[in-house]
Amino acid sequence: MNATARLATVASRPERVGLGVMVTLSLGVIALGAGWVAGPSAAVVAAAMLATVVGLVSVAFVGGLETRRALAPYGLLKPGILWLSLFFLAPLWSMVVMSLSSKESRFDFFPSFTWEWDNYRIALTDFRPQFLRSFGYAAVATLLTILIGFPLAYVIAFRGGRYRNILLGLVVIPFFTSYLIRTLAWGNILADEGPVVSIIDGLGLQGAFESLNIMDNGKLLNTPAAVIGGLTYNFLPFMVLPIYVSLEKIDPHLIDAAMDLYSSASAAFRRIVVPLALPGIFAGSLLVFIPAAGDFVNAQFLGNPQTTMVGNSIQDQFLRQLNYPVASAMSFVLMFIITIAVLVYTKFMGTEDLA
Amino acid sequence: MAGKLNRRQFLIRSGMAGAGALSLPALLAACGGDEGGSGGGGGNSLFFENWPLYIDEETVKVFQEASGVSLKYTEAYNDNNEYFAKVQPSLSKGDKIDPDVIAPTFWMAARYVQLGWAQKLPVDKIPNIANLRDDLKGQPWDKDQEYNLPWQTGVAGIAYNMKTTGRELKSVEDLFAPEFKGKIGLLTEMRDTMGLVLMGLGKNISKLSTFDEAAEAFDKVEKAKNDGQIRAFTGNDYVDDLSAGNFAACVAWSGDVLQLTKDNPDVRFVIPEEGGTNWFDTMIWVKGSENSDAVAKWMDYVYDPVNAAKITAYVQYMSPVKGVQDELVKMGGEAAPLAEDPLLFPDEATVARLQSWGALSEEEEAKFDEAFAAITGA
Amino acid sequence: MTAFSRRQRIGQRLINGVAGLGLFYIFLPILVIVIFSFNAPKGKYNIKWQGFTLDNWAKPFAESELTAALWVSLRIALISTFCATILGSLIALALSRYKFKGSGGINLFLVLPLTSPEIVLGSSLATLFLNRGVDFGYVTVIIAHVMFQISFVAVTVRARIRGFDWTLEQAAMDLGATPSRAFWKITFPLILPGILAAALLSFALSIDDFIITFFNAGSLVTFPLQIFGASRVKIPPQINVLATMLLFASVSLMVAGTVIGNRRQRKLAGN
Repeated sequence: MNATARLATVASRPERVGLGVMVTLSLGVIALGAGWVAGPSAAVVAAAMLATVVGLVSVAFVGGLETRRALAPYGLLKPGILWLSLFFLAPLWSMVVMSLSSKESRFDFFPSFTWEWDNYRIALTDFRPQFLRSFGYAAVATLLTILIGFPLAYVIAFRGGRYRNILLGLVVIPFFTSYLIRTLAWGNILADEGPVVSIIDGLGLQGAFESLNIMDNGKLLNTPAAVIGGLTYNFLPFMVLPIYVSLEKIDPHLIDAAMDLYSSASAAFRRIVVPLALPGIFAGSLLVFIPAAGDFVNAQFLGNPQTTMVGNSIQDQFLRQLNYPVASAMSFVLMFIITIAVLVYTKFMGTEDLA
Repeated sequence: MAGKLNRRQFLIRSGMAGAGALSLPALLAACGGDEGGSGGGGGNSLFFENWPLYIDEETVKVFQEASGVSLKYTEAYNDNNEYFAKVQPSLSKGDKIDPDVIAPTFWMAARYVQLGWAQKLPVDKIPNIANLRDDLKGQPWDKDQEYNLPWQTGVAGIAYNMKTTGRELKSVEDLFAPEFKGKIGLLTEMRDTMGLVLMGLGKNISKLSTFDEAAEAFDKVEKAKNDGQIRAFTGNDYVDDLSAGNFAACVAWSGDVLQLTKDNPDVRFVIPEEGGTNWFDTMIWVKGSENSDAVAKWMDYVYDPVNAAKITAYVQYMSPVKGVQDELVKMGGEAAPLAEDPLLFPDEATVARLQSWGALSEEEEAKFDEAFAAITGA
Repeated sequence: MTAFSRRQRIGQRLINGVAGLGLFYIFLPILVIVIFSFNAPKGKYNIKWQGFTLDNWAKPFAESELTAALWVSLRIALISTFCATILGSLIALALSRYKFKGSGGINLFLVLPLTSPEIVLGSSLATLFLNRGVDFGYVTVIIAHVMFQISFVAVTVRARIRGFDWTLEQAAMDLGATPSRAFWKITFPLILPGILAAALLSFALSIDDFIITFFNAGSLVTFPLQIFGASRVKIPPQINVLATMLLFASVSLMVAGTVIGNRRQRKLAGN
């Protein structure tokens, strides 16, 4: 078979060519970016990538309109996918390598790869409280966003009428102020001589709040409750929007019909509204839990030394202690746990609702 | 256009060089500055990155008019360790960073000098260096005073809010008093916080050389943290918490509190009877910067007691410059009483109570930092 | 309405009340921010309410470093949004326009950056840059922003052009238009509003990003980083003023986005 004929055969299966080229190029940029190859072998990889592109162009040239049409989606995908391969996937690889590296001396700037499993031991033992807190706080915050977000979404979807969009806008608008300033403002609100504590004291409720572990020694700011409250507040829209989207799809007549059939409105609510809202609640939970578990801003501004989360530790180890290996090990553990949760979720629910 | 301007500036400066008593190497350095300079300023510009709220509003402007140097002054130096982490990637590769001059705290300045990331100051072009206070001269890591020139010095002591404490505080032990549970703030700056605690335990921090000698103090702080005694580890932001009544008391820097007292007379500052930690932030000239002329002009300017007094009147820290006390009196008005302030010009009895940290080996310093990071919990 | 029993009405009121409280909760900090933008602090610190003034609003740009940081953020957001919008829209176009092998995998791949904690994205990208000896600054921040914006744009645009009638393009070609002419004359104007809406939202993401930027900025100071620095020293009332302005700007952009989106929907309905 001569070259042209071979090309023509290949061109008859354009999908494979398109996918193959995309995967090859992605692997190529990851290899170059993450430093799998260096020096002369890097040049070889670069040359191979160039050859792949040349091959693709010739296939497109030899093949007809149909071939080019089948190749088109891959062409459209390529720039974005390659960007993500280089600046999302390759960094994850660098992180894994870093998490197994060690430094020879304190100011030895760049750690070298030594299969240093001890970093993971440090991450999982020394920083265990921070991990547990992160997941615990994030879980409670997720529950609270459901409790606050569901009635909001429900009222907007079923009682909003023609003001639906405006109401929805009202829910989202505050989150267009800067994240940090919002959180700092909560610091003002919860301060010891601030409005909330004064009201609680005025009503004589301090004892009740203390026994619920919300207040501690007369203070609200710098307690676990304040951190969880901040997380709840900052990620609330990620819960309201998906729930609203799934409620919006419900035909109000369905509820009317249910009301006719069931004896009580609460039964209709339980059997119709809640099940249909579940996809939104699941998607919202994921969208709240993930950023909450990795956050360090709320714990920094609203917490105390005993409420630090894993984000604070990663930030401190990376940006202050210059301990990149341990910071990377912690990042990896966090990423690993969350990725599993996401994969389990997408297995059952698909990727649609996460947008 | 920019090129012409540069050349003209250069001619003016060369003329000054001829008239003044500048050395030949300095002149060569100035030429080098022009060649290497990109864009507008060349060797006649300066970038000083300093701690926030560490200069009055006039000095930068007046200096620029007087010297013809275009000075970029920013306040992005928030934390010694964080700043070091930020610049380490560039400096360790031998690249330059944007600022020409920074003002780390003395122990961090020592690190820059030891790593070779600070260059020798153009001392012969800074005649006012003679005004440097004697007690700050010749640090162990810079015996000949070639690399650093102190910016301000101060004391870490205890600040408290009279309204919340209900009584005057005097001792380091007050930080651990059960009545203030959950209302105590400590600084993230390890030496300031641990220095006080160590002195409270009767240690002399200037003679400390190993972590083992200090372990007791770290245990004490860790226990306080676990008991919920400590509300937060902060940087400068303790000022907010103190003023808002969130902190009853905290480890604090003298100048900040003097400032705050203006707004809130309930806030007091005390150097505990066990002692206070003495520190200074010091200007260093970062490796790779070429603007030696501008660096010299700036340092000379701020070491003129008249100019230094203006800065002192605003920041209210102790000036490292001799003669500031007299200048404050001459300034009159609000500045004059500062000349009598014992926190700015401490008497001998107070000075005797102040201690500063000695040098720690790299290995021991790492132990201190790690132990402290473990306590701050981040 | 008469069909509801008393108990049901109480239930309805209760849920309305809870939702009302929710809205109040959402607006509480915003109220504080806006109120403190009118504060006249006596000293260096804007902590306690001291008195009403309009000075901060008269001189919103009095804090030069803060203003400079805002411009840095705007510049970064403009550039990164421009790049991400193109790259992300191409992906969305491929996903909604064509059926092809591997599209399921691409869908999952796109969701991953959105479901990774920001701290992981930020620290791992910083590790890559450290590894390669790349100096932190404008370029690294823009790269980082484009990275998290691509997925966002792709997913949003895909959702908005779902249900688009691709046969329109085919019809144009049947009438003799070249494929590229058919695309630019027919398809592009119809999907443009969706793209613009996604661009506006991702612009807002970029302006406000703190965590990822914190790891990759080096000594570059963006608006959120400036606020973070200021939070440890002093919070000038100008921060509140600029934040309020940004809020209004974002809201106007969002309203514009909705209006554009609605017009598009009417247009589609008309077709």
